[in-house]
Amino acid sequence: MAEISKKGNSLILKLKYKWSNQPLFSTAIALVIIIVAQTLVLGFDYDSIGSWFISWLNNWVNILRNNASIGIIALGMTLVIISGGIDLAVGSTLVATGAVLMMLIDEGPNGILIKLGITGIPAFIVAILLILLMGSVLGSLIGVLITKGKIPPFIATLGAMKIFRSVTQHFMQGYNPTVPREFLVISNLKFGKYMIMPIVYWIILSIILYFISKKTVFGRQVIAVGSNEKSARLSGVKVERVKTLVYTLSGLLVAIASIVQVSRIGSMDFANAGSGSEMDAIAAVVVGGTSMSGGKGQILGTVLGVLIIAVMNNLLNLFGVPPFLREAFKGVIVVAAVLLQKKEKV
Amino acid sequence: MSIELRDIYKSFGSNEVLKGVNLSVEDGEICALIGENGAGKSTLMNILGGVIKKDSGKILIDGKEVDFNRPIEAIENGISFIHQELNLINDLPIYENMFIGREIKNTSGLLNHKEMYLRTKKIFEDMNINLDPKTMVRDLDISYKQIVEITRAMIMNAKTIIMDEPTTSLTEKEIKRVFEMMLNLKKHKVGIIYISHKLNEIKEICDKYYCLRDGYLVSEGLVREVSTDDLAMFMVGHILDIKENRKEVKLGDEILRVENYSKKNTFNDIDFSLYKGEILGFTGLLGDGRSELFQCICGIDKQDYGKLFIEEELCNIDSVVKAINMGIGYLPKNRKENGIIKDMNILENASIVVWPKYSKRGLINFKLHREIFRDQVKSLRIKMIKETDNINNLSGGNQQKVILAKWLATNPKIMILDNPTQGVDVGAKEDIYDIIRNLADKGMGIIVLSSEAQEIVRLCDRAIVMYHGKIQGEVSKDTLNEHDIMKLATGSNIKSEVS
Repeated sequence: MAEISKKGNSLILKLKYKWSNQPLFSTAIALVIIIVAQTLVLGFDYDSIGSWFISWLNNWVNILRNNASIGIIALGMTLVIISGGIDLAVGSTLVATGAVLMMLIDEGPNGILIKLGITGIPAFIVAILLILLMGSVLGSLIGVLITKGKIPPFIATLGAMKIFRSVTQHFMQGYNPTVPREFLVISNLKFGKYMIMPIVYWIILSIILYFISKKTVFGRQVIAVGSNEKSARLSGVKVERVKTLVYTLSGLLVAIASIVQVSRIGSMDFANAGSGSEMDAIAAVVVGGTSMSGGKGQILGTVLGVLIIAVMNNLLNLFGVPPFLREAFKGVIVVAAVLLQKKEKV
Repeated sequence: MSIELRDIYKSFGSNEVLKGVNLSVEDGEICALIGENGAGKSTLMNILGGVIKKDSGKILIDGKEVDFNRPIEAIENGISFIHQELNLINDLPIYENMFIGREIKNTSGLLNHKEMYLRTKKIFEDMNINLDPKTMVRDLDISYKQIVEITRAMIMNAKTIIMDEPTTSLTEKEIKRVFEMMLNLKKHKVGIIYISHKLNEIKEICDKYYCLRDGYLVSEGLVREVSTDDLAMFMVGHILDIKENRKEVKLGDEILRVENYSKKNTFNDIDFSLYKGEILGFTGLLGDGRSELFQCICGIDKQDYGKLFIEEELCNIDSVVKAINMGIGYLPKNRKENGIIKDMNILENASIVVWPKYSKRGLINFKLHREIFRDQVKSLRIKMIKETDNINNLSGGNQQKVILAKWLATNPKIMILDNPTQGVDVGAKEDIYDIIRNLADKGMGIIVLSSEAQEIVRLCDRAIVMYHGKIQGEVSKDTLNEHDIMKLATGSNIKSEVS
């Protein structure tokens, strides 16, 4: 490979080298192409550059804010998939933690914290801490099922998915909590004209996760476990602990996503919220270049993956493609992305 | 049928494995292909068997050029490849195994068991094999499995059979059985390419030999015109500086003692001691239980009972982490599966074991690991471009040194090496021997597990030979020789034969 980079004076060779050696290169290029297309479609029939830019910016803030929650979930999913597993339970965990959160902070007569006499900011803090704990506990339970119970991740999380959602649905039947207006500030605080808090959370968490996966013992051990579990175990990596932690982290991130979601809209459809979001998260991770067989993947790639799917969706929307057909395009993107990625020889 | 390979080249990445190799086999010829590990034998045969593609060169069958893209194409051209790890399905009877992938069906599309049975029976009769085709493969011993594979090749109308080290795990009696079979094939005008390290066997059964070294064909000719010593010299080459084994061994205190180690159906009543500065060899044939024994000693598996003492102190090692903390380093066999982590770079592979030890608040101290590794690159003579390159860019020998580096980073008192020179080229092999001797000179206690008696003789101060999970005998320094080791390994006793 060293020879190629020396010889690669011509642009094409250089591009070719990057294409095959930097996993994120093709993903980034795809994103740029889609963004350019989207910008073109938005059109230029505005009075001035200024008003065009404002509309462009508005569109972007919308895209990012709408996808912050799935973006946060996909971060945890990335680590899970790098570790060689999969987490189908994220959508149900989202709904379960969201439901409990709303029960806790409900302003109505059934609000749990109100009954206990806790209101206002302290109530929010207590509720958020409890929800973060709940997400982590649910995640670690899945982790324990997988490591101690030796159940394949697909099955364990499939089971958890069914259980969490059905239990939530059952208990939330006919119950309509009201989220206090003050709680909505968490996601709806405005900067100038823009509500960017969800985006801020997403960015901060992405940086933290990036840091974890690159610099920490845990983050690198996740790669080792996903790449070659046996070698990792023989090298003194506590494989069970690493795996359990990965699912715990995923659960924690889902809990954060549910806080963002609840505080953004103020309500949740317990039957449908988060359903399919496990697949959206997996799609983003895969489009971002993470290998389903484990060991290979990057947080940054997943962020790009979420963006690609989001912008594509936006583009289809602008084109006026009927909603039912949009899912098909999503499918095409996922498959195409994997087709384009460099594959290992069998 | 005659097969000719002409000027075959093959490289993997920057690693040239075959550099213009020629080879030919005629009808009824048994042709030995020899060479050290990593010389390119398997690559060459994988090319002939359609498993991998050549870069350039020609394959001629009866003078006509052919090109194989898949194993099935080679099979259709009459070439059968019998791999070292046999490709039989244990849970099917012999006759079904015979037709795997090309089952005989009757008109309704169901399996025609009767026909398959009869055809198997017939070929067994033709070849003078006394086996019932209905026997389950599971119930056969290895030599018969070997024979079943060979007859399967016959049933597929193989005109040339490649056999990759067929006798490695066989006892002498079983080897005889396979040899008879080979002579029988010879009578049936089948050509055989026989890959082996056992030079005596080659002398006994082969007509021609081809010797590969570092990807070159260094010698070819008739076996009857050369001695085994000549063959050994061709294999190893002259350039190689083979260091004598250590003459002076200063043994220190006992560092490890194992008492009564037993695990059901695996090993039984194992007792031995290891001293500071000693290189102790463990050897035996397939199924001797030595790898399993040391997996228990290193905390990967659990023995049923038995005690282990490190420096006279009773230890209960129930996890790899515990073993590491007690000062035991374990280099497993099968580097690809158990050693390297293919998605990580060289430095990470060399430091993963000590990440937790030197981490601060969960952060990996890469700066320190880099310093440690740079010293190791020098002392272990690791050849590489950048430490951030992927581990796959290294040759087998250098990969093995990186894995060794990862264990030496833990400063072990006891180092256990399972097949340390597996898939390592000749030069790196000597390097690794040298490294092991140096470590022992510095007072580390070292145990080397190897299936090659030659390696044990060259490297170890003392050897324990296992047979079916038991210690069959011990050979020490002055009397350490391959002959005695082989005798013990096949279940005989040295002394009883002397008297």
